[in-house]
Amino acid sequence: MSEKKHPDNKERVGVYVCHCGTNISKVVDVEEVARWAGEQPNVEVSRDYKFMCSSLGQELIEQDIKEKGLTRVVCASCSPHMHEKTFRTACERGGLNPFLFEMTNIREHDSWITDDKEAATIKAKSLVRGSIDRVVHHEPLDQIPVEINPNTLVVGGGIAGITSALELADAGYHVYLVEREPSIGGHMAQLDKTFPTLDCSACILTPKMVDVGQHDNITLLTWSEVEQVDGFLGNFTITVRKKARYVNEEHCTGCGICIEKCPFNVVDDIFEAGMGTRKVIYRPFPQAVPKYPVIDKENCVYFQKGKCKACEIFCPTEPNSIDFEQEDEILQIEVGNIILATGYDLFDVKRIPQYGYGKLENVFTSLEFERMVNAAGPTDGKIVLRDQETKPKSVAIVHCVGSRDENYHKYCSKVCCMYSLKFAHLVHERIPDAEIYDCYIDMRTPGKGYEEFYNRLLEEGTHFIRGKVAEITDAARIPEEEGKLIVQVEDTLIGRQRRVPVDMVILSPAMEAREGSKEVSQLFKMGCDFDGFFIERHPKLDPVATMTDGILIAGACQGPKDVPESVSQGAAAAARVAGLISRGTVMMEPVRASIDQDACSGCRICNNMCPYNAIIFHEEENVSEVITALCQGCGTCVAACPSSVITGAHFTNDQLLSQIEGILWDMRPEKVTA
Amino acid sequence: MADKLTFSREISNLMYAGHGSPLNQCIQCGTCSGTCPAVEFMDQTPRRLIGMINADLKDAVLNTNTYWVCASCYHCTVRCPAKIDIAGAMYAVKRYSIWFKTYSDDLVGPVFSETFMKTIARNGRSYEPILATSYIFGFGAKEFFKEVQGATKMMLKGRIPVLPSRIKRLKNFQSMIQHIIPVGEEE
Amino acid sequence: MKKYAYFPGCSLEKMAISYHDSALETTRALGVELEELEDWNCCGATTYFHLDEILANTLVARNLAMAEKQGLDLVAPCSACYKNAYFTNAYIQEDEDLAEHINYALEADDLQLSGDLSVHHLIEIFVNDVGVEEVKNKVTRPLEGIKIVPYYGCQIVRPRKDGENIEDPQFFEELLTAMGAEAVDFANKTRCCGGSLLISNRRAALDMIRILLQNAENSGADVIATACPLCQVNLECYQAQVNDEFGTNYAMPVMYFTQILGLALGIPRKKLRIGSELVSAIPVLSKYLKKEVS
Repeated sequence: MSEKKHPDNKERVGVYVCHCGTNISKVVDVEEVARWAGEQPNVEVSRDYKFMCSSLGQELIEQDIKEKGLTRVVCASCSPHMHEKTFRTACERGGLNPFLFEMTNIREHDSWITDDKEAATIKAKSLVRGSIDRVVHHEPLDQIPVEINPNTLVVGGGIAGITSALELADAGYHVYLVEREPSIGGHMAQLDKTFPTLDCSACILTPKMVDVGQHDNITLLTWSEVEQVDGFLGNFTITVRKKARYVNEEHCTGCGICIEKCPFNVVDDIFEAGMGTRKVIYRPFPQAVPKYPVIDKENCVYFQKGKCKACEIFCPTEPNSIDFEQEDEILQIEVGNIILATGYDLFDVKRIPQYGYGKLENVFTSLEFERMVNAAGPTDGKIVLRDQETKPKSVAIVHCVGSRDENYHKYCSKVCCMYSLKFAHLVHERIPDAEIYDCYIDMRTPGKGYEEFYNRLLEEGTHFIRGKVAEITDAARIPEEEGKLIVQVEDTLIGRQRRVPVDMVILSPAMEAREGSKEVSQLFKMGCDFDGFFIERHPKLDPVATMTDGILIAGACQGPKDVPESVSQGAAAAARVAGLISRGTVMMEPVRASIDQDACSGCRICNNMCPYNAIIFHEEENVSEVITALCQGCGTCVAACPSSVITGAHFTNDQLLSQIEGILWDMRPEKVTA
Repeated sequence: MADKLTFSREISNLMYAGHGSPLNQCIQCGTCSGTCPAVEFMDQTPRRLIGMINADLKDAVLNTNTYWVCASCYHCTVRCPAKIDIAGAMYAVKRYSIWFKTYSDDLVGPVFSETFMKTIARNGRSYEPILATSYIFGFGAKEFFKEVQGATKMMLKGRIPVLPSRIKRLKNFQSMIQHIIPVGEEE
Repeated sequence: MKKYAYFPGCSLEKMAISYHDSALETTRALGVELEELEDWNCCGATTYFHLDEILANTLVARNLAMAEKQGLDLVAPCSACYKNAYFTNAYIQEDEDLAEHINYALEADDLQLSGDLSVHHLIEIFVNDVGVEEVKNKVTRPLEGIKIVPYYGCQIVRPRKDGENIEDPQFFEELLTAMGAEAVDFANKTRCCGGSLLISNRRAALDMIRILLQNAENSGADVIATACPLCQVNLECYQAQVNDEFGTNYAMPVMYFTQILGLALGIPRKKLRIGSELVSAIPVLSKYLKKEVS
């Protein structure tokens, strides 16, 4: 009864079982696993140790390689994400090719997911046996150096993207900043004041916007969208659609006469949040960067009916800057890294009908209120009801609209408590005798100077009601309620339902992932979570990287964030990119596919499947070939090849099948009969 | 220690087909009590009742009228941001109270429930006048008069049945009920 | 002609006989056949759930099983019956353990329930099956100039059913509009009428009724339309007591939507039992009834 044919008994495997303090050992009997492993085929030495990742643990591996002549190493410990690199380096120091090492995860995959000690120990043995049987088939490999293109793509021109772009540009690297709106600035450009210091949002943002517009190292592509992403870390090729502005940027001086002369107004749903209007040829706001206007084709009378051309008639430049014939441009950009800073959307408050938005006219959203209190906004900063003139005598602010709610978004949207407090302050400031009711579930003000700001509002006399608003209605029951909006809420600190009559209600909706964020994550081949936010490589230790090398994230596209946090993350992403650029080359995993040219039937099935376009076809020889420099080792072609002649290095059939058989060691027929 | 049958555990167990979140996911936001159309008549709001259940304050919970005032309109349930079936929890406390007979005899709700149940067990269908007389003593004389007045007016318009209707396969029906709970056996 | 198993429920036997009659009249007029469930039993209303959830579900299941035996989907005109039937049916499908318990009990009456049928409220038949457009086509007596409250009450829309607008439903309004009437924008349209409280907590119930009547009057409505016998009885029969208790003066007719629909379809009022209300609807309807010799 022979063990399954092992290629040779010459390999000498060292097995190291880690306690991870008590993380593993409190559930898995690590001594037993190590003892048992010592009895397995090809195992030369087997040990358990408190912390394999410690210097002493690593030295254990090094010594055994040197003294016992180990040719293969297996470490049963945590996730390869944590320490694969550590142990590979230890092997290398001991004189062993780092790819002759295999890591087994008996923590995340075993001890952390059960309390059943017996079952956990059995599973650990199976996993270890799988690794032992796999590692003997490993082959020495060399890492592949990849050159980093020093240019960077930043997607999204809000405060996070602006920060990333400026950091890199100031460091001397070229940046392409792509923004889909006509101007950079993002949501921050719409705000009036920023909490908790109340500095004017535009005053602190516009200098940075100007810097971006004038920087020699920044190519600004507004009114543009990324359409395709090819390549990988160090060598991406990006296809960008630069939408037709119908304004020639080379000739336009940004004088704005065309805007002034355009006879048609439309409601501005984007920048003014529906609170104000703009012309059909427009700049979203006076400080827009770039200064060039854009024609809104859907609403332009010339485009729709063939008449008007007022903008062209009054354009003073020579040659004329208005160009009705302009077409979308498709650009190709070569970059080494990508920073995604695509921002957020606000939760659609109409999804909560009991709050009456759209039906009760004096219910406003936060963004509407931001535009209203903005001195440059549609009411010149006056707080008024929808009739544009009546000052509210009482205002209610509703927290957690669509957040902390399993019916909508489970997460806490993080910034709403603070901006709601800011709103309360602004009402106190502009209408000193107004009564303000702030309805919150829990007041969350963690941040420098944030709790102090809450204290300030307590002093200013805001009426705080601890309770999530149940409904807003205009159905009055008593004379005091007539003609008012009634906010119905339990004041949980008193334990009574209250009906608070007010003139105006401001809803504070959650920040949510951008519409289409799932498609964006697919475009860039990285992950987004259930809520649509992009997933970071590690929630604590690597919040700017993603699981895809060369693609980084910054700002609210990763999760709700305020301005300071977005700025920090934007700068951090830039620092990471700058580090890679200055290194020049990075070493990549040698996990690559290769095609056995003699056996290839030339069916070309693999050609179109490769997501990296790394497979070429030689017509005359009728065979396909993988370009190693382009291959990312995803394995798609390996699985697809009908002749099984494509091999993925480090994931060969021998290796994988041996591992599976190893894991199922106690299920083999001969074992059952024995 | 996880096996100890606390009051909150018992109540959760009584929410057999409850499809909501466990009661201990309550974040005490008050949406239920802000929504409740009957909250004015409760001596504790639904939110507080959930809090009290979670704190295992058994006697205090059973001494409230909250769960008997609940009209089972489910408005709290559909709005709860923690997806707790609050109306379902109210039913669970009602069941607890009836089973352990913790309610006081002058409480109309449970007496009515029992009468109602017996009527159905006896006839297969419910019958308003029989029910009325058995629970009517819970009201004062004035209300009793009004109740009769209302009933008479309805009867004049032909809207109250004179005799209770019975279903045909009553024996089978009663046996079906006894498959689940041996009700009505003492009679 | 689409056919349903019709489960009238205890209230429709007598107390809400006008709902029963008008339901049969209107469905017939619109080509829907309601076949009364043979030997149906009380579904336990809300009260049985006070005692035992499995038992309550079993009561409901017996009716469902009989409909299943007839090979028909179930229609209930009472919102409480409908809610019970809908959710027991859903639970049976989701919960094998519950299904086993219930089927064990159902054996006593030679019945089995798989949960394969669907359960509808009577109003859904008109809205989804017949369709609002078809109703509109069949209207011979458009109710122009009358303002009607579309009062949903609680249990048609709650607890949650996926994909439905449970806070601001619109189908009742659409149905009323199809009849030519004006549907009042009624803020409290899904607020509970207090139905199940009239016995256990009369004052609470009266107050809940008062709030609805107040809202209806303030919104200028002529009549309240309901789709549930409990709502109808509460809002109508207890109006006098509300007036007594709170010193108010409400005289708001409360009608079943099927009575109003029947009127619009040209069915004689006697057949719809219009006039059996305690707060007479005849005055507000007089202009549509002129041609009828009564």
